[in-house]
Amino acid sequence: MRIRLAPVWLLVALALGASVMVALPGASYAHQDREHLLAEASLQHPAGTDAMGRDRLVRVSAALLLSLVGAMAASVLTTAAAAVIGGAAAFAPRGVAWLVMVVCDVFLALPWLFLLMMVRSALPLQASPAHSAVVTFLVLAALGWPACARAVYRGGLELKCAGWMLQARASGLRRIQLVRQALPNLLPLLLPQFLVCVPAFVIAEANLGALGLGIGEPLPSWGGMLLELDNSALLFRTQWVYFPVALLILVLLLLEAIPVEA
Amino acid sequence: MKLTFSLLRSLARALALVMLVMIGSTLLVRLAPGYLSDAREMDARYGNTVRAELAEEGARSRSVPQMFAQEIKGWLHGDAGVSRQFGVPAAELIEPRLAVTGGLLLRSLLLGWGFALTAALVAATRRRARLLWQAPATLLLAIPTAAMATLCLLAGSGGPVLVMALLIAARDFKFLSRMLRRAWLEPHLLQARAQGIRMRRMLTMYIAPALGAQLAALAGLSLVTALSALVPVEVLFDVPGLGSLAWNAAMNRDLPVLLAVTLLMALAVTSSGMLGGQTTQGERA
Repeated sequence: MRIRLAPVWLLVALALGASVMVALPGASYAHQDREHLLAEASLQHPAGTDAMGRDRLVRVSAALLLSLVGAMAASVLTTAAAAVIGGAAAFAPRGVAWLVMVVCDVFLALPWLFLLMMVRSALPLQASPAHSAVVTFLVLAALGWPACARAVYRGGLELKCAGWMLQARASGLRRIQLVRQALPNLLPLLLPQFLVCVPAFVIAEANLGALGLGIGEPLPSWGGMLLELDNSALLFRTQWVYFPVALLILVLLLLEAIPVEA
Repeated sequence: MKLTFSLLRSLARALALVMLVMIGSTLLVRLAPGYLSDAREMDARYGNTVRAELAEEGARSRSVPQMFAQEIKGWLHGDAGVSRQFGVPAAELIEPRLAVTGGLLLRSLLLGWGFALTAALVAATRRRARLLWQAPATLLLAIPTAAMATLCLLAGSGGPVLVMALLIAARDFKFLSRMLRRAWLEPHLLQARAQGIRMRRMLTMYIAPALGAQLAALAGLSLVTALSALVPVEVLFDVPGLGSLAWNAAMNRDLPVLLAVTLLMALAVTSSGMLGGQTTQGERA
């Protein structure tokens, strides 16, 4: 697998722009400008304000950063967990490998969104917005590893039968040493998994948020901003309510354009 | 005999998986920090009653094995647990919604596969048409289901079936076009095309039988895709199905109902996986 650099740079540029917007003096995603509720674009609010008078551009920028950082962190966790579990299963005795694959099957038998909803709705009522954001991405990471672990397991099994590995085993290398030698060879498998997980997690967070089960207010999130579209009264007053959806689609298109299949 | 044995083995595996899912989900729900809390606690009118109910449930579910036993007993009795919100067996809430969701899933899958197969066939047989189809498929994949449903509602065109069908079509198109392209370039099909054999004949006699197992596996994946899109689509289009029941249960922390719906979904996914696996084994045999 190769990586296209143009979408990566575009995403970096978007993230930098968003960071500047959030870091500008006086910019706050939670500040309410009661004088300008649902305002059109102006110098003060370049993308207008929402129904509570909060600056839409600052909120969208913060949502972009939160979602990208959260999804990437969750992807790193998922990929690392998959590498450890899948790799260990491939080099473990057959019984252990079978047990690990059964656990993977159990996770894969559950549709993601239902499990996410189940875990998310079982959080305490007094969970803070930051807590809900961390939990949302942690749950995504916890549920995302089985498919990736299966792929790593298959790759690990192939490696186990490779000529150089046979030679290493014949030379008396211990199991842990074999795993250490095999891990760098699994990297080409892990990178695509990481790249696939990032947009999947961004979409999952947006869908959860749109159902009211994502990141809590006042923290901005894509899903929370999609909820704005449910209020048809807002749509007649300003076209800027479509801005978060447009940016979300652009980000997802860029994320999906990064990996190039061989 | 071999087929019966393999069928029985798959069935036993599916049952074991569902059982493990049940154990895992119950454990997950029971150990969740908010299991013994209810939104009604904040309402002064219900606060005391709800707290008493929750204390009772806390005492009942203190032992996890006892909880599993209760869950299994509930499923064997056919009530699948009792709803916290409505105080009726979850099965009573699920039953009338099964047909609605089943119909929605079936129509979406058929329409989605129709779209995907047509587009993939054109893309596989005509090289230039490939990009033309790939662009909308990529765009559709970049739109979260909730956003797609909301945009359809705002545009006043398209319904739940169309949204789910588009999502399924976009996902499956990628796999189908690759599969069909590979099959289309096989030497024996090249020879068949050179001899002027009709497209329909090639499809029914050569391509479909060769790809049968892969198509069955892909159909299983389509069901998973459709189930993942079920909740936002049903909630946003106000369809009274299992997805909206699950969402309502999640919003009201009605975990027994949510658990029952999740297990039902796991059963559907496992069964579809089993059918896909059986077709693959049948092909190999």
